[in-house]
Amino acid sequence: MISKKASKRKTEVAARKPMKRSPAKKRVAGRRAQNKQAIRNRIVKAALGLFQTKGFDGTTTRAIARKAGIAEGTVFNYFKNKEDIALYFFEQEVGHAVASVRDNERLRKAPLEEKLFALVEGQLEYLAPYERFIGAALIHALKPSSPLGPFSHRAMELRHRYLGFVEELMEESIPKHKQDPLAFLAPEVFWIYYLGTLLYWLYDSSENKQNTLAFLDRSLTIGVGLLKKGKR
Amino acid sequence: MGADIAGSYLGYALQRAFLGETKTRTKLKSTHTRAARRMRDEMQSLRGTAMKLGQTLSLQTGVLPDETLAELATLQMQAPGMHPSLVRVQIKRSLGRDPEEVFKQFTPEPFAAASLGQVHHAITKAGERVAVKVQYPGIREAITNDVKLFRAVSKPAQASGHLPKVAIDELEKQFLAETDYQREADNIEFFEKALAPLSFVKVPRLLRKYSAGKVLTMSLMRGQHLDDFLANRPSQKLRNELGTRLFDLFYFQVLKIGSLHADPHWGNYLFETDGRISLVDFGCVKTLSPATVTYLHQAFLYSGSIHSADFGRLMETYYRAEGLKLLAVTRRSLIKFAENFYRKVYPPDPKKDYRFDFGSREFLNDYLNESKNLFRTKGMLADLIFMVRSEMGLYQTLHRLKAQVPTSQIVRNHLRPAHGR
Repeated sequence: MISKKASKRKTEVAARKPMKRSPAKKRVAGRRAQNKQAIRNRIVKAALGLFQTKGFDGTTTRAIARKAGIAEGTVFNYFKNKEDIALYFFEQEVGHAVASVRDNERLRKAPLEEKLFALVEGQLEYLAPYERFIGAALIHALKPSSPLGPFSHRAMELRHRYLGFVEELMEESIPKHKQDPLAFLAPEVFWIYYLGTLLYWLYDSSENKQNTLAFLDRSLTIGVGLLKKGKR
Repeated sequence: MGADIAGSYLGYALQRAFLGETKTRTKLKSTHTRAARRMRDEMQSLRGTAMKLGQTLSLQTGVLPDETLAELATLQMQAPGMHPSLVRVQIKRSLGRDPEEVFKQFTPEPFAAASLGQVHHAITKAGERVAVKVQYPGIREAITNDVKLFRAVSKPAQASGHLPKVAIDELEKQFLAETDYQREADNIEFFEKALAPLSFVKVPRLLRKYSAGKVLTMSLMRGQHLDDFLANRPSQKLRNELGTRLFDLFYFQVLKIGSLHADPHWGNYLFETDGRISLVDFGCVKTLSPATVTYLHQAFLYSGSIHSADFGRLMETYYRAEGLKLLAVTRRSLIKFAENFYRKVYPPDPKKDYRFDFGSREFLNDYLNESKNLFRTKGMLADLIFMVRSEMGLYQTLHRLKAQVPTSQIVRNHLRPAHGR
């Protein structure tokens, strides 16, 4: 055990060595990347704040720039338009929710309904501060030409990533899932379920959105039960 | 499963219209056995509100067999179980942080079911072992909906007066009160003070710092639930002692503090082998009206004839104080109740070492019969409905303990000295 640990430490040290060749250069590059990320975050934060108060349609890139304290031109160095900012936010949201399920050691052995619960709840928690904007974005996404809409390339990619993860979770818990001729439908159905949940959540006026929690819990228990029944 | 039982009874009701009287009886019996078995198996999964309301309804219409009824009285409103992820969300939304941050240690799996939720072990940052009660989300709305539905389906029983509106209102109020953990926190602190004179009763200490929203934290209580306690075959002496104390506790609350702890559910009591009793659930607390308390003081162990005009005046005064007219039928069944039950179990002039043996089945049947008759007379007072429910739980527990209890003596200890005596 000890020797294993020691050898591991050795390889780590070895792996770190080449980096030391140009420390100054690396540090500068790292700082620049960090800087860029900080500005990107500032723009997103400013935009979300405005989406929430002024509405998505009522927000201009100029207003976003002003709120973020940068030139409007700088915004375009990072994002094409405000739809681009919104998409970036949703990518972050999905990434956050996926990571929160994956990084949770205990969840690994949890039943499927709990994993899916943790995933969707993680998303809702991430979205909660921007509830008004989410409602507007949903409506906006319904316009055929909208880059947020289901037919835009990037939105589709994001959905694939999300549903890919859902399918991964399903296979983990139901090993023979893929053999079912209708298995390909499961993630699609989940996507519709997710949109429905989002609507339910938006309209949920109960204290602390307690009804959404109950809805999520009960519906996932039933849904996963159906999924498992289909496999037998 | 709820639909199963409903279906079975609905089927019975339909058949009854076409069967003769004797056939009806045998049919009823087999329906009961079948339904009762199903109920025992899966009772806990029934929707809480519907179950409790159904129980009260059946008390009045005789739809359910007595055995099942008695069991129902002690059942608890049960919510679905929560997995650790849901528990985490509930704690975070109530206390603002994840359970692992709030406590030094938190066990994600529950150790007990509670009314409307579940209970978890935890250790506070100060090192104290505590019980953390977490409520299932959306219960309040579910109850409101269930009651609405129940009001709709029980319209005929309401119209005929067999199911008084006040009974449904009263139950709804109680159920909703149970969802309010803030109120329960106040109850715990109230009973900690009020029950202090009873040295054998232990009440948990509330930790306000860890209690908010759907989370309630209190000191961890020790002891065994009734089933586990009985499994160890306690001696008759110990059973008598505990029975006597439960009885004492009940009438101390009714007659001395005018407030009553808890749903009469066994899970709400923990027993220790040294005879101590711990109370654990304070969601359901009923404060009796002053008129009720006065009436009970005067009517209990009434030394004269219960057929006397004086006793009649007692009941009339009570009803008038509550703003209701005492109907002749209600009056008759109250007297019958006293005659066939209370005089037997609580003799006004007991011998010196008198103890009532709750081990016999007979007294329980008497109680069920008389309370059913009383409920059927319409014009029941809300406080009496609650008293019947609680007493039923007490008697069930005493019956299971097979305890011998000096009933009249204990009650007498808690009675105010009567006027002019």
